Amino acid sequence: MAKPKIGIFDFACCEGCQLQIVNMEEDLLNLLALVDPVEWREAMSDQSDHYDIAIVEGSITRDEDAERLRKVRESADYVIALGACATIGGVNKLQNNFAIEDVQVMVYGDAANMPHLASTPAQAIHEVVKVDYMVHGCPIDAHELTHVVRCLLAGKQPVMPDYPVCVECKMKENGCRYEYGEVCLGPVTRAGCDARCPSNGFWCFGCRGYVDDPNLEAAASVMEQYGKTLDDLKSKMALFGSAQEHKL
Amino acid sequence: MNIKRVTEKEFAAWVDALTPKHTLYAPQAKEDRFAFDRLTAGEDLRLDYDVSILPPKKYFLPQKEVLIKFDRKGNFESVIAHEPFVLFGVHPYDFVAMDQLNTIFEQDNYDVHYMARKEAATVVVSDVQVASADVFAGCMGNATVEDRDGYDVLLTRLDDGSYVVETRSEKGEVLTGLLSSAVDADEVTLQQREQVWNRTREQLQKHKLEMTPEQIPALLDKSYDHPLWAEKAELCHSCGSCNLVCPTCYCFTVEDELNWDMETGQRYRQWDGCMLTGFATVTGNHNFRDKKEARYRHRYYRKGKYVWDMIGEIACVGCGRCISACTTNIANPVEVFNQLSEEQQ
Repeated sequence: MAKPKIGIFDFACCEGCQLQIVNMEEDLLNLLALVDPVEWREAMSDQSDHYDIAIVEGSITRDEDAERLRKVRESADYVIALGACATIGGVNKLQNNFAIEDVQVMVYGDAANMPHLASTPAQAIHEVVKVDYMVHGCPIDAHELTHVVRCLLAGKQPVMPDYPVCVECKMKENGCRYEYGEVCLGPVTRAGCDARCPSNGFWCFGCRGYVDDPNLEAAASVMEQYGKTLDDLKSKMALFGSAQEHKL
Repeated sequence: MNIKRVTEKEFAAWVDALTPKHTLYAPQAKEDRFAFDRLTAGEDLRLDYDVSILPPKKYFLPQKEVLIKFDRKGNFESVIAHEPFVLFGVHPYDFVAMDQLNTIFEQDNYDVHYMARKEAATVVVSDVQVASADVFAGCMGNATVEDRDGYDVLLTRLDDGSYVVETRSEKGEVLTGLLSSAVDADEVTLQQREQVWNRTREQLQKHKLEMTPEQIPALLDKSYDHPLWAEKAELCHSCGSCNLVCPTCYCFTVEDELNWDMETGQRYRQWDGCMLTGFATVTGNHNFRDKKEARYRHRYYRKGKYVWDMIGEIACVGCGRCISACTTNIANPVEVFNQLSEEQQ
């Protein structure tokens, strides 16, 4: 049987998530034994018109990108959103807090009116096309991506956690960041990262996006008790929580 | 079995003698808190720990463990641990919790994975030397365990720094045999130990339960529709922190995972928690407890009634870990039970 064809595509992002794939080393060879990459700008020059699996990194910030994404979707059996920019809009959605004209000037200065720089408010890719699976994170954990790919190849539904980072953080037996006087987004952020930041002494930045039903009011309610303000919480939430469905 | 009085120096030498001979897991500093971990140097032992972040149940029921290795042709093999190990310095309330899990995992569907670890373990209980901020084991009857069976050695530190080391089983003798030069505990020593126990029972009551633990099941019988559940659950993150740090919570989820060859794989289980949104979701995406208040109530019924109905024990030992772990302060069982009781009267 021919190996499934995979295309890897990128939109507005730093390409750091694709870099995580390239960095898999030995596991990259394992992955390539199972799938046939037919399009991957960061790693090869070939192109194709059909993909069993399209892996899409980045946010949609221009009309022409939305158009290109729709074409990818039409050509693919499965679409996997790769990394925070693709799954939730990520840091690109910071721009949605401002008027788009101001953002254009702030970023591009004199070139702000160049047609190819005409930005639209940032969108996660599921806000433009149907997405079958999401691999969250900034950056992604390549093991999670390969787990999803192996599940798809085996005809098995991959399970994405819908519980907060606290679950994994407790399993790692970390002290709670709140007890260290920090505002941590772990209680409202989707797990799956193995609580990587709290396990290394940082609060959770929320890069995997909110759980399906985050209790943001509860998070806000404890700020005073920990000697923090609502603004402390909101400023932490801005990085990956801007222009999300759930907001304070 | 014997009871020895061991000087501080003899005690340290004993631990040093044990570490190269046995696989010891013991409380040690983790940043400014404590956790059970492999003890390789006696000097790292911290029997003055107040409470470990996770209870020592993780050595019987690990956070994640492989149950079965399989291939897609249908062959499979159970993975069962047999290596002997010593849990050194378990607090009495944690022992009570482990004893409860032993009963539950042994009955009905005998859990070979759990029981193999339980059989391979030697359990050394250490009386609490420093009370944690939220401990209430004294209210639950679990501050000391001198009248219980099922562990192998009991350590009690006296005020002069010496230890009373009581051997309770043959497994325990294997460890305490190395203490043969220490003197037998005399009557005065045993009285001093009694005093330590009395004091400990008083000190481990940072929250005061205004009833006996045995009254909790009847209280819950009358409280199913109480407004408290929804009021408290308002601030619930459904983060499961209270479940995950609980020494008597034992729910797990099971998943299969395929290796790169796409032929072989393993079935593993990992900790789950009834406070998590999807815990009671079944095929067809129906969630039997889709509301926070239903999940919140379920946890307290589990602690105070369901396990009682099953084996006649309260499934809260008073360690207080849930109280400390909950960032929104809704997880204090003493507060919940007291409030229900007040409003029943």
